[in-house]
Amino acid sequence: MFEKARSIFLPVAGVLVLLAATIGQSAPAQAKPVRIAFGDIASVESLNFLIALERAKERSVEIDVTFFKSEDIAAQAVVGGHADIGVGTPYALLQKVKAPIRMFFQLSALRFYPIVNTEYYKGWKDLDGEEFVVHSRGSGTEAIMNLMAKREGITFKRLSYVPGSEVRAGAMLQGNIRATIVDAPNRNLLLEKGGDKFMVLPMEGVDASDEALYASTDFLESNPETVDILVEELLTVWREINKDPDYVTAQRKKYGLLADLPAELEPEIIPYFTESAKSGAFPVNGGGPEAVKTDFEFYAIAGQLQGNPTSLKIEDFWYLGPLDKAQNKLGRM
Amino acid sequence: MTTRDFEPVGRGGPFRPLSSTAVWRLASFVLVFGAWEFAGRVPISPAFPTFGATMAALFQMTLDGSMGRAYLSTLQPLLIGLLISGVFGILAGVAMGLSRLFEFFVAPVFIVLQAAPVAALIPLITFIYGIGLTAKVIAVCILAAPVIVLNSYKAVRNASPSLIEMCRAFQGSRVQVIAKIILPDASPLIFAGLRLGIAAGFIGVVLAELLITPTGIGDLITYHRSVADYAEMYAAIFSIVAFAAITVSSLQKLETMVFRPEKKEG
Repeated sequence: MFEKARSIFLPVAGVLVLLAATIGQSAPAQAKPVRIAFGDIASVESLNFLIALERAKERSVEIDVTFFKSEDIAAQAVVGGHADIGVGTPYALLQKVKAPIRMFFQLSALRFYPIVNTEYYKGWKDLDGEEFVVHSRGSGTEAIMNLMAKREGITFKRLSYVPGSEVRAGAMLQGNIRATIVDAPNRNLLLEKGGDKFMVLPMEGVDASDEALYASTDFLESNPETVDILVEELLTVWREINKDPDYVTAQRKKYGLLADLPAELEPEIIPYFTESAKSGAFPVNGGGPEAVKTDFEFYAIAGQLQGNPTSLKIEDFWYLGPLDKAQNKLGRM
Repeated sequence: MTTRDFEPVGRGGPFRPLSSTAVWRLASFVLVFGAWEFAGRVPISPAFPTFGATMAALFQMTLDGSMGRAYLSTLQPLLIGLLISGVFGILAGVAMGLSRLFEFFVAPVFIVLQAAPVAALIPLITFIYGIGLTAKVIAVCILAAPVIVLNSYKAVRNASPSLIEMCRAFQGSRVQVIAKIILPDASPLIFAGLRLGIAAGFIGVVLAELLITPTGIGDLITYHRSVADYAEMYAAIFSIVAFAAITVSSLQKLETMVFRPEKKEG
């Protein structure tokens, strides 16, 4: 009887010890290489980021990027400890869940363009009492349109939701929708294919973050050198692109990035970066306190942040140490 | 311990005891919800709410009407899709069962659809049918129809040959064989197919609302996830799972009651 019990006990104990060891091993947040969760597929628009990562790799930072279907899922990967660094603007996550995560580099500012069918509308005032199509409930595009409606003193009959700039652009071309907001490539597509049929409505002063890098405070504090290198390289690449957007094509060639990019998309690289740089989409200072305050105001309107934006504390959302250090080293702009 | 161990408990006492199945069911609910509560309290992830918080969110969303509005929106493509799949699915299945020629042309379509990973097909639906109600109805249909069609087809094809023979021996016409023998004999399996089709329809409508345009329950899930209201997000998921499970198990009870009274629980 005792023998039998022991024969069962030993394998079970063995499995338990192994399990405990596995759990023990996976517990530390830091693991090499640095695991980055990117909430989108690699495309022309992410070339700048990929270049900065290559440059960081040259400085002995091992990096492993995983491309997720959406920013939300990438954020979950960081929260769950399956990734070290995420890409997105998880303000709601930080405020509501109080996850020990901080943003540390502003990758891009929101650049979207309200576009209308000129058969029906010629300006902002014509949109009073009309339907307008945005990405989704609680999205940046919805917040932009709520902000613009407030500024222009108009009220939309209703905001409808169609996810994806390319889907909305397609619906505009087919005539299914009359007014929407799209990103730069789809704005260009509409203006190119539709000619006078479409017009972009003027919009200024919407500068909130579109994407930022974030990581757990544990990772940021225990890997200062890695984070410093990453921030320095991002800042360098961003500044180079703002100086000369051609930099992207040269670096893409050097590192062999997006090697399988279809030939017809290659000519889009330079115009995209030229225009984004011109419109200020790539901040030359990685964000900083001013950008964070703009974000607070914008994301409060978007419904991502609760409470009075002026009472929110920067340090509850951002970890600006590495950015400060990088700016001290590379110069402030 | 087996279910038999529970049988004598409380027998003959002043209260009617819970049947052993009910006890096990209750225990499994307690176990799952208890594990959920525990996992939320650990927490396994800061974004994972407890069972209690999720139920509180569900209650709140029911009170403020957002759940009701979401269901009104979700039920629209679901019911239209299920009605179309039910009517045309049974007709097509019966026709396939009765005619080899029809079977030859139509069966492969449904066999392929049943095996296909439909989530991958949904983007194709949007290319053809756009992003409105039609696309969502189609998503429900391509998930629900194959199982309804194939069950109806198998049911008709496997109708008792001796009963059919008997009907013919009594000079029954072709119409009489179909109406009085094949269809009644096939109806339990057809109904089982309908029940499975409804279960698949739930998957279809949620997939459509998550992958095409966020409306109804899909909107509640997407929106609450985007603003990090995870208790509300899980409440929406919980509600649709519970709704689907209750609907399908009620249909199963109905099926047992109407078609298989001999299997009714004691």
